[in-house]
Amino acid sequence: MAELNPKRGVWAKLRRPSAKYSLLALLGVGFIAGILFWGGFNAGMDATNQLEFCIGCHEMKDNVYQEYKKTIHYSNRTGVRAACSDCHVPKDWKHKMIRKIQASGEVWGRITGTIDTKEKFEAKRLELARHEWARMKASDSRECRNCHTFEGMDVEKQKSRAAKQHENAKKDNMTCIDCHKGIAHKKPAGMTEEEAGG
Amino acid sequence: MNKTFITASALGLVLASMAGTALASPDWSKVPSRQVTVFHPGTSGLEWIMKGTEHGGAKGLSKGETCIGCHEDAKTLKIDIATDKILKGEKLEPKPISGHVGTIPVSVQAANDGANLYLRFSWKEPKGGVEKMDKDNPVKLAVMLEDNKVVAKDSKGKNVQMGLAGGCWGTCHTDARTMPGADDKKTKYVTGGSLANGQFYDLMQWKSGKGAKPVDGYVADKRVMEGGKALVSAEGKKDGDTWTVTFTRKLTGGEGDIALASGKTYNMGFAIHNDHAAGRFHHVSFGYTLGIDAKADITAAK
Repeated sequence: MAELNPKRGVWAKLRRPSAKYSLLALLGVGFIAGILFWGGFNAGMDATNQLEFCIGCHEMKDNVYQEYKKTIHYSNRTGVRAACSDCHVPKDWKHKMIRKIQASGEVWGRITGTIDTKEKFEAKRLELARHEWARMKASDSRECRNCHTFEGMDVEKQKSRAAKQHENAKKDNMTCIDCHKGIAHKKPAGMTEEEAGG
Repeated sequence: MNKTFITASALGLVLASMAGTALASPDWSKVPSRQVTVFHPGTSGLEWIMKGTEHGGAKGLSKGETCIGCHEDAKTLKIDIATDKILKGEKLEPKPISGHVGTIPVSVQAANDGANLYLRFSWKEPKGGVEKMDKDNPVKLAVMLEDNKVVAKDSKGKNVQMGLAGGCWGTCHTDARTMPGADDKKTKYVTGGSLANGQFYDLMQWKSGKGAKPVDGYVADKRVMEGGKALVSAEGKKDGDTWTVTFTRKLTGGEGDIALASGKTYNMGFAIHNDHAAGRFHHVSFGYTLGIDAKADITAAK
């Protein structure tokens, strides 16, 4: 009976109009609080996108990070680097949120140690790779296209091997991940011919 | 007076006949040459070539691309191949040989006179460093010709015109002798090849060893180093540090030869065994089309 009493309780307090503070003050404080909360939320999204955050887990640092360090996305002529989130986390808000929520599965995996040894990781490598390939194929290599486009390619500057393959890929409506599997991490053993060539 | 007349006419006859033979081979200074780069191929047999998980070009081959379509720049004719990785033993080479060069640029000329095909190869001898695998022959050069019949299967089981796409690669298998783990007696072969079904390569080889006779054979289900009737001569000489090898072969042939006809194109590949090399340690070319009075990568015009 006391909870239904409109004169007492927290909920009652919140619903009652303010007797002390002006509307402007309330709006102002609310506005700033909103900025802080939203900013803080985004800062959190940003922080969990950092390479240092990803390699905070040894599962990532000892395996895929070491492989990535030997590739062109880590070190190249112009020094432009693609870090973990550039390829594995979508940039647009909707897909980013979905991915961040899905990442709780990764936290679970970390807690239960599904790939916490080299052997466990190698055993699961193909399965994990296939998840990412499927995700990238379904989104038409959206994360690749954040930086790379067919239209932006200067064919004159490409080796004929690359130019030819891209020409054929455009003709056959292929997507980046069809051929560029293993671009940043070792290709898993057990990959099929189908997976290698689209 | 009679004696002088006889001597003069005899001399005249001799000179005339010499001039006759000189006319038979073309004036090479007038024949255009095509730069072809041969390279050390490591262990890249056909099985490796056709596997997409190993060789990104496999999907190109399935789509009808030729090797040079991707691996040779159309303008500069420079080849693009991972020879540096192969030489270091990083890929496709379990036995890296120090001193072995990655590539050798070769000048190729071709001509015909209605009866014979003339092929002339000229290159600067690079340093070796290869162990003396073939003690008798410091240098060898072999040419294979094929008439657009040899096929290889891609990973989906579809036929790829391998003679056209890759020249000699139709005979190169990862289980042939000098390949890792291979039987030392297993020669090059064409899968499903035979003289009867036309899936074979005509093989001509020049050897530099003392007294070595040129080889005219073929590669079908195995390599046969004799029996060809088309080869007329194979001569090679070294001028300073430049080798020049010339093959003369009849356009027509017998069993085990590819018959060549004017107006048609055939597929050709060649390889140089440099510095006593043997087996897979040769420098090979990609596949090139050879046209007899027809436009091709290498044209043998009259």
